[in-house]
Amino acid sequence: MSGAFDEGDREAIVAHLLDHFEHPRNRGPLPGADVSQKGGNPGCGDILHIHLKVEDGGGAGGGAGNEPGAERIAAIRFEGEGCTISQASASILTEIVGGKPLDEVLAMASGDLVDALGREVVVARLKCAVLSLNTLKAAIEKYRQMKTRRALGLDEPGMPEPSGPPWT
Amino acid sequence: MGEYAHPDVLVETSWVEQHQDDPKIKVVESDEDILLYEQGHVPGAIKLDWQTELQDPVRRDYRDRQAFEELVSGKGIANDDTLVFYGDKNNWWACYAFWTFKLFGHRDCKIMNGGRQKWIAEKRPLTREVARRPPTQYKVRDRDDFKIRAFRDQVLRHALEGKPLVDVRSPGEFSGELLHMEAYPQEGALRAGHIPGAQGIPWATACNPDGTFKSADELRKIYEGKGVTPDRDVIVYCRIGERSSHTWFALTYLLGYPLVRNYDGSWTEWGNLVGVPIENPAAGKKQKEKQAAAAGAATK
Repeated sequence: MSGAFDEGDREAIVAHLLDHFEHPRNRGPLPGADVSQKGGNPGCGDILHIHLKVEDGGGAGGGAGNEPGAERIAAIRFEGEGCTISQASASILTEIVGGKPLDEVLAMASGDLVDALGREVVVARLKCAVLSLNTLKAAIEKYRQMKTRRALGLDEPGMPEPSGPPWT
Repeated sequence: MGEYAHPDVLVETSWVEQHQDDPKIKVVESDEDILLYEQGHVPGAIKLDWQTELQDPVRRDYRDRQAFEELVSGKGIANDDTLVFYGDKNNWWACYAFWTFKLFGHRDCKIMNGGRQKWIAEKRPLTREVARRPPTQYKVRDRDDFKIRAFRDQVLRHALEGKPLVDVRSPGEFSGELLHMEAYPQEGALRAGHIPGAQGIPWATACNPDGTFKSADELRKIYEGKGVTPDRDVIVYCRIGERSSHTWFALTYLLGYPLVRNYDGSWTEWGNLVGVPIENPAAGKKQKEKQAAAAGAATK
């Protein structure tokens, strides 16, 4: 993913970002999402909501014994508003991470995303550029927390009472 | 009935379009969204990134005199040019750029009333073409950090003397309720609230929904109504000094206040500064609620 653009190719970088801003990929709600996470830069008003469907990969009856390494992003959508870079970054990120294992996404460095966006241009607004990845990582952590709590029989505050183990 | 104190400093979109072939009038776009210019700008406009170009990259300050001269010369701007600033967000960042150029003593600066929003709403032409200009020999006599800029110690003294302070942030930020929005990362300051004695007058109060400034009469009512009058030494602030430069512009050029200074350290400095006094109505309220609940429980 690094070195996606030639040095000095500012025009191509800008065109790519504007394309994703004007024609976003994977933008919209995700009915039946396993997790939704809000993220934002209150200083400049950028807001992102990331929705994920996670595929456990362990087959039916997974539950607490499931290998965490098998979890993958089955579907990802984003919603939000804000500056061109923050929204384009979300669109570009959803194309990069679709189908990837959760652990691989958690291990993604901000620098990798910045290179994929076009470092030369987005270096001016790094916080906006990496909001999407930070929000996505927070979504994955939240998903894992929820899963662990369910497995331990704990209620999440604000969540409806589970009617029983979800994996029988 | 009132006219603006300096009516020529605020120009309309029609004026800008009429003067687009005047070589001594240069339009400058300064936005929060740093890729708006690339999506289309006023023909002939020069892009200015207030964050990467006006700010010193190492110290929290504006560029020094030499760096500013190099920057502005490189953009093909001359000392005797008339600069017309405009941008997104009701000209917040345009006013900030205007203020910064005034810090460096640029003689003739204007704001295009209504900014990007109005130009686009009126379906005026936008272009993606970037005009190339030969570099100039821009010279700054000196940066004046005293006339329109206020620093931390001056603000503390100002507050302790009960002089007028205008906090232009949202009501939630002013009251101390908002330090971070729920589910959003905390940012900027370790403490919430406002500088003691400050009046909360959100910057947007000075604007109409279309991004233009309100009339002189309306503005006078808003500010004088809160005791912020032209006979006093006024300091304005927000989070980093950009929203407050919008209010600084309104008070200085539209209402003609002779002494208005922008405290660019603003809340990101004050809310992190050890030992300075802070007024936090929200914390006071929470405290009272806690006490009432405890008293209620005790009587059961």
